[in-house]
Amino acid sequence: MDKLAKQLREDAGKIDATISAELDERIRASLQGITPESANEPRGSVRPALFWWASSLTGAAVAIAIIAVINLQAPEPAPVVPQTAQAPLNLPKIEWHARTAVLTSPLEQEIDDLQADLKKAEQAVRQDIDKLF
Amino acid sequence: MRSEAALIEAAKKGSAEAFTDLAGAYRERLLRFLLTRSMSYADAEDALQDTLINAYRYLHSYDSRWRFSTWLYRIAINNASRLRSSATIELGDLSDAEDDPLQHCIAAADRENLWLAARRLLRNEVYTAMWLRYAEDMSVKDIAAVLERSVSWTKVNLLRGRKTLEQGMKKDRTENESKAYG
Repeated sequence: MDKLAKQLREDAGKIDATISAELDERIRASLQGITPESANEPRGSVRPALFWWASSLTGAAVAIAIIAVINLQAPEPAPVVPQTAQAPLNLPKIEWHARTAVLTSPLEQEIDDLQADLKKAEQAVRQDIDKLF
Repeated sequence: MRSEAALIEAAKKGSAEAFTDLAGAYRERLLRFLLTRSMSYADAEDALQDTLINAYRYLHSYDSRWRFSTWLYRIAINNASRLRSSATIELGDLSDAEDDPLQHCIAAADRENLWLAARRLLRNEVYTAMWLRYAEDMSVKDIAAVLERSVSWTKVNLLRGRKTLEQGMKKDRTENESKAYG
């Protein structure tokens, strides 16, 4: 045993812990009034074998009843009115006077024709827009 | 004189006398331990009484593979913890208290009792491990069982406890020497 261990043991022995006669009497009296529990002694009340099944079923039934009552008592939900999108303007059908370009002439001629067609189409669109607004 | 095993069997069957005989060997040791953990002597006595009552009531749960003292200390530590939590004090708080029961139970000496220093320097659990090892001479395995810790945790913390205590003692010595020599 090393020095520290020896000193610790000696110092523990220096702590005076005498059991007084009064404490001794108190402990004896309290032990007399106690019956030790036995290992096989059931704790609490004995429950029948079907107790857990019965309690589970009861619990489920109560839960269903509560859900039903809540649903019956709940006010009719207000009909949900879908937000109507703004009705589209009844725009008059625009007739586009565009033609499909068919390459039948030399390319320069075709470009001139296409540009002329483009101008005509642009004018037609402008006229249609003027009519609308 | 009946053996410990015979006394346990008789006590299990409801003999309070057998249990009183059985606990007789441990009462003072338990009170000494509880004194180091209580706010007052009366608290320590109450904790001892509760420990013995619980031990007698639940004796059927005692496993004979363990030493009886190991099981008894487990109960005592639980009671001591309850005492502490109800009073919300830590071991360190006790060292300065004027009515510290441990201070009163230690005869005046030329040096501080090491357990007072240990209580000031160590955590509760480490203090208990140290107490069980050096005051009760319990094996590391039994201490681990009492504290519900692993054997390696117990070994490490016993070592740490020793180191802390040695350092604290060394520091105290140095301070005393410097005071003595001005």
